[in-house]
Amino acid sequence: MAIFRMHIPFLDEVKAKGLRQAGRAKADDIVTRVTAGLNPSDVRGLLRDDAPGRPNPRLTPHAEGFWLHMRPTYYHTLVDGLYPTFRLGWLATFFFVFEIITGVILMVYYTPSPNAAFENMLNLLGNVFLGSTLRDLHKLGAEAMVLVVALHMLRTFVTGSYKKPRQFTWATGIILLGVTLFLSFSGYLLPWDQLSLWAVTIGASMVEAFPPEVVGQTMNLIVRGGPEFNADGLLRFYLLHVVLLPFIGLIAFGVHYYKVIHHGHSLPPGSEKVGEDTAKRVPMDSRVYFMPKIITRELFYIVALMFLFLAAATFFYEAPLEVKADSLITPLHTTAPWYFLWLQGMLKLGDKVIWGVIVPTVLIGLLLVLPYFEVGPSRRYGDRRLGLSLAALSVAAIAVLSFMGTPWYGVSTSAEQEAVATLLPQTHPGPLREAEWEALQLGSFTASEYASAPNAEMAALLESFHEEVERVNDEARSEAEGVMVIEDWQTDLKKVTLRVIWTNLVDGSPGEYSQVVFLHRQAAYDRGGGS
Amino acid sequence: MKWQIAAGLFLVLGLIVLTLGLALNEMPRMELFKASNDARTVEAGASLFENNCRSCHGPQGKGIEGVAPAINAADLYDGSRLAAIGWSGTTDNYVRNVIAAGRPVPSAGTNYPQRMPTWSQRYGGPLRDDQVDSLVAFIMNWEDRALAEGGGAAPPTVVEGAVGTDLAQPLPAGDPERGKQLAEGSLGCSGCHVLAEVGPAWMASGDQPGIGARAESRFAQDDYTGQASDAQQYLVESVVQTNAFIVSGYQPNIMPQNYGERLTAQDLADLIAYMNSLR
Repeated sequence: MAIFRMHIPFLDEVKAKGLRQAGRAKADDIVTRVTAGLNPSDVRGLLRDDAPGRPNPRLTPHAEGFWLHMRPTYYHTLVDGLYPTFRLGWLATFFFVFEIITGVILMVYYTPSPNAAFENMLNLLGNVFLGSTLRDLHKLGAEAMVLVVALHMLRTFVTGSYKKPRQFTWATGIILLGVTLFLSFSGYLLPWDQLSLWAVTIGASMVEAFPPEVVGQTMNLIVRGGPEFNADGLLRFYLLHVVLLPFIGLIAFGVHYYKVIHHGHSLPPGSEKVGEDTAKRVPMDSRVYFMPKIITRELFYIVALMFLFLAAATFFYEAPLEVKADSLITPLHTTAPWYFLWLQGMLKLGDKVIWGVIVPTVLIGLLLVLPYFEVGPSRRYGDRRLGLSLAALSVAAIAVLSFMGTPWYGVSTSAEQEAVATLLPQTHPGPLREAEWEALQLGSFTASEYASAPNAEMAALLESFHEEVERVNDEARSEAEGVMVIEDWQTDLKKVTLRVIWTNLVDGSPGEYSQVVFLHRQAAYDRGGGS
Repeated sequence: MKWQIAAGLFLVLGLIVLTLGLALNEMPRMELFKASNDARTVEAGASLFENNCRSCHGPQGKGIEGVAPAINAADLYDGSRLAAIGWSGTTDNYVRNVIAAGRPVPSAGTNYPQRMPTWSQRYGGPLRDDQVDSLVAFIMNWEDRALAEGGGAAPPTVVEGAVGTDLAQPLPAGDPERGKQLAEGSLGCSGCHVLAEVGPAWMASGDQPGIGARAESRFAQDDYTGQASDAQQYLVESVVQTNAFIVSGYQPNIMPQNYGERLTAQDLADLIAYMNSLR
């Protein structure tokens, strides 16, 4: 008696029908298994967009296969166009997957430690094949995802799609919005450069304001892992970024998408009677089948987006990297990431507790439960003047608050500092560092005499310096003058001193402010690169 | 749908071409990145040097006699300084180690009695590893020019007609102005007695008078162990016989003991005239 018996049915087939016949049958079988129900002639018909047979074989993969069981077999023609969805939900999903794939590869080259993270960035950019492209793609995808998710929410509000029966879908969407924002925000810290440390420090500053004091302080300690961001804080943000938030995101996404399919995509507001929801009752002649039309389009979108983003990362975009994080040096003009600028703007309105904690918390809470108290039955634009006006007002408010979050609003730095920062900003390279190294002639140059500068490049620098230095003159100071001194310092190294001098009107005493920068021939700030 | 299939296939081709183009350009791009990163390391090092090192090692690292030796000098890069102290590694390594760990003991027999502080956070200093690396990159960038210029920390020269160590010998009339120049210049006195308090301060501060006034009474104090019998002899002794009497609170052997061989009688007289002017 054999302990082990092996039987290969294919060999029996070959014996019975011959190799050619059996091989063909086997190939058909494999195709049917891989497509979860479509035999090769079904696939051919699908690609040719032939009329499906009856019963429609193209529905089988939705019933049999795992991936397609999540997708509806058909959509309503009314939601098939760009309007009303603008494909924003689909785009958000695309970017989520895109970020997971690029992110997992980036994780290979990353260590969440202040001693290694920044050096990992240098290694990624200088030693890893296509490492910089990968980083650009991940960063660009993150920015796009924040934008797309926010627009998706706005669209859902505008078309009234949050209304009954889709209230819970909306609530999970708000969770996904939060997950998206915090995914992006937690990722911001990981490169551990000056830009990331200070943007996140500012972004996280309202946590401390949470009342009462002991709660705020404790929360602050939990978030930062100490009084300020360091090894523990970086590790926490890393784990949030790669484990907790993606995990919450996946679960919330699962629920969100299940609900979307369960209720059907809401039709354009004008296409059904007030108070009715006919999304699930799609007449035969209004059906657009997933296969082949939608799947073809989605595959096309995927390829097009990948091409678009790769092209953008190649030709237009470079993820910024400043010098290594230093908790002792706060760069001038530091801001939170752009999608949290509105919060930074609100903080400038007054009390940190009210504007930094209470107002945002209340707003987010209201947003979460919006569909449960805003129960007007009509989704039509004409019936929702108040709601739509409020939405428009909110968008305007976010824009204004975001502007207020920038350094151009309500930040009192001295004019001489600002003048130097025009040429020598502390959050990005700026015109002086990006200027042609060879064009910086040795010598001392007065800003007001920019017309007689040795070359056009220096003239442009001195002119913009001069314009800003003019602002130093006020009721207390006069005769402000900018001076740029360029010295030969070392092999391939120049020292540039930017000095602003003025006369104090009160006692006639001179005042001075200066800043020094060293510029190396090969630093190449104009083409990005470097640290 | 047909156009989407066509455009999609076309874009797949585009993706392949784009990736290939990127890949072909990747090696030079990484080289450029490394070059620019090295350049920025030098820039960062230059700033760190200005903020932390310049006050002792002088502008452009030319050194301040008596305070800290020149770094921007040929002997550091041509191996002679390393040979003199028995360092068998490279200059790069030497510089990195001295910056990181400092010098716990002042270099004996040199004119630099101050200790080099430790700078690396690994040894309790303020600088991160990458900042030490930046400083090393900046300092090593002096190599070409330093070697081209030559020079460096020449060993203390033994002069013709040196004054020796006799306390009782008569000295010519001194010029305090020239003495001041000597103290601040090549002799390096001010490095320890004016700029830093490695040795007793010369200048008056608080209720303590200057060195000129203190010399008048010190030789008569009970704890005095030297041979001087007046103020001038006391000052001569403290320059040429440095271990004869150590002021309480200071250590022996810190001050170089070879000034008797480096000074002429006129130099010593000028120096003492300058010290006497500090009251």
